[in-house]
Amino acid sequence: MEFSLSPDNISAYLIVSGLLFLFGVLTILTRRNAIYILLGVELILNAANLNFVAFSRFGGFGIDGQIFAVFIIILAASEAAVALAIILQIFNNYGTVDLTETNLMKK
Amino acid sequence: MSVLMFWFFALLAVVGAAMVAFLGRLINSAFALVMALIGVAGLYWTLGADFIGTTQILLYVGGVTVLILYAVMLTPKESTRVPWIRFVPAGVLTLAVGILLLTAFGGVATALNTLHSGGLEQPLEPTAAAIGEAFLDREGYLIPFELASVLLLVVVVGAVFIARRKREV
Repeated sequence: MEFSLSPDNISAYLIVSGLLFLFGVLTILTRRNAIYILLGVELILNAANLNFVAFSRFGGFGIDGQIFAVFIIILAASEAAVALAIILQIFNNYGTVDLTETNLMKK
Repeated sequence: MSVLMFWFFALLAVVGAAMVAFLGRLINSAFALVMALIGVAGLYWTLGADFIGTTQILLYVGGVTVLILYAVMLTPKESTRVPWIRFVPAGVLTLAVGILLLTAFGGVATALNTLHSGGLEQPLEPTAAAIGEAFLDREGYLIPFELASVLLLVVVVGAVFIARRKREV
């Protein structure tokens, strides 16, 4: 295992994307507000995207990785739109966006 | 120069992500997410992916962030401060995932570096034309591209339908 932190090596990008992923996981694990969890998901998607683009440049796989990144950005935008609509509806029904309070399925 | 740019944008991304995870107020975290997204867009540019970086600015920094800010405005001001005790189990879990990631990435990076031991010096070229051709090529990504268009239409209709008021659950 060898890590080099110069930007002409893929490991620098892998470390940055790994940190983004970990902060996203930490956000999702510690917060109870639904919007915060969405922020964490966005961070994780960006980490995955960064990996795709980095492998597209350093792996010698051509442009396919960048095309996957475009599709992931499209899916992330769709996901954010639907998730925020659902969050608004949760707020209309429960008066809060705290995910520990939304327990209709448990009753 | 490119080294300097890499460090600048990498710091922007990582510090922004850390602020999302640790700041106490939702609106501050939302703007920290903007910072992280701009950092990631800059990293795309240092990787030679000019089209992806621009799309990131347009769609994420422009679109998704505005959506999130609307959600912040339309929901009540709740205390989102995290008691520090909740960071302990979450931190342990995150550290475990981080160690796994480090081993996996280390292996992959070593394999790639031995594969291209001479150093991979691809010239940086504009990518928009190549991406557009791949999207409209029947041997390439034409069908996923059209499916993405349909998905976006469904999402627009579905999001409006879900967000409508006066609906009993």
